[in-house]
Amino acid sequence: MTQAQAEDTQIDWEAALVQRACSGDTRAFERLYREHAGRVYGLCLRMTRDVHLAEDCTQETFINAWRALPRFQTRSSLSTWLHRIAVNVSLAKRRKASPVEASLEDEEGPRGALEWTLETPVEVREIEAAIGALPDGARDALVLYALYGYSHGEAAQMLGVAEGTCKAQLHRARKLLRERLNVEVS
Amino acid sequence: MSGTRGGDERKVSSLRELSPAIEPARDLWPQIEARINEERTTAPGAMAAQPRPLRARAVPLRWLAAAAVVASVALGVWIGRSLLPAARPGAGVESPLSASRGTPATADAPTALDVAYVSDPRYQRDRAALMRSLQARLAALPPPARAKVMASLAAIQGAKQDLENALGKDPGNALLQELLVNTYQDEMRVLTDVHEAGDAGRGI
Repeated sequence: MTQAQAEDTQIDWEAALVQRACSGDTRAFERLYREHAGRVYGLCLRMTRDVHLAEDCTQETFINAWRALPRFQTRSSLSTWLHRIAVNVSLAKRRKASPVEASLEDEEGPRGALEWTLETPVEVREIEAAIGALPDGARDALVLYALYGYSHGEAAQMLGVAEGTCKAQLHRARKLLRERLNVEVS
Repeated sequence: MSGTRGGDERKVSSLRELSPAIEPARDLWPQIEARINEERTTAPGAMAAQPRPLRARAVPLRWLAAAAVVASVALGVWIGRSLLPAARPGAGVESPLSASRGTPATADAPTALDVAYVSDPRYQRDRAALMRSLQARLAALPPPARAKVMASLAAIQGAKQDLENALGKDPGNALLQELLVNTYQDEMRVLTDVHEAGDAGRGI
């Protein structure tokens, strides 16, 4: 089976589950949850930087998705739709929880980060820590663009900011990561 | 971001290599399911909280499409009745439909069919000419093309007969009138094609 065929199968399978969930089948919705929970939780965790908040956001995302499922257009991507909901929920929770934006300098980063170069691969936990230490706006843009693969426009739309703002935040994030890790961020 | 991927010592050289997915430390589904069930059973608008089946939304669209088709047919008939030239009483032209009914096409209650197409003298003249030369043209065609034409004309003749019979029972039925006009047009198209194919020495 080719990649395209596999994706078609995946889409058909997902559309069938969505249809069943729309008719009130919670088992079908649970399967959708199992399929997407990791990416939704990953997004919420990176945006909120708090395990408990991220869990709340993930649950809220899927509950909101359940309520809004009849309005979901099966031709579009379910994961993108869920991510939009997750971003909205996370932004709202973050505003409510702490209006103070943590800066890169507020976080205690790992010593010796400056020794790392592009030629020296970086441990995942170190990069995640560096991303987590970024200011909120820069981190949001970086996560959606660099990790989740959304375009500038899509990321900006999800975050409710202008595309230019999103690009500026991404530039800022790259600059801060480069300074912190001493590696070129691709 | 403490607690995110604390145990992951894998090394990467690009952010693209980071996995977007992070599995939660605990299963979040039971609480989600409880909330969903709670809303479905206890909320005042429990039915509203439960998603409506997709099929239920598709039905109105199907009806809208059907309504659009009916409206377009009705519009076509109205145009045929209102805008095409009306038959003049005593013009002396007898339509095939009238002929098949055994009644002359007189002034009282002309139908869209009578006035719009088959009573046109040019149509009558052209059709008669084509019919006269049909056998000769058919003989000049290759056997497969000839068989195809014969089958088409037989099907058209059958359709005409069926429609005229139906119109005999329901003369005012606009849809039947429309279909009959279309059938006459199809017949003319086949006859013209045969004529032109014979002139060009080609098949159908």
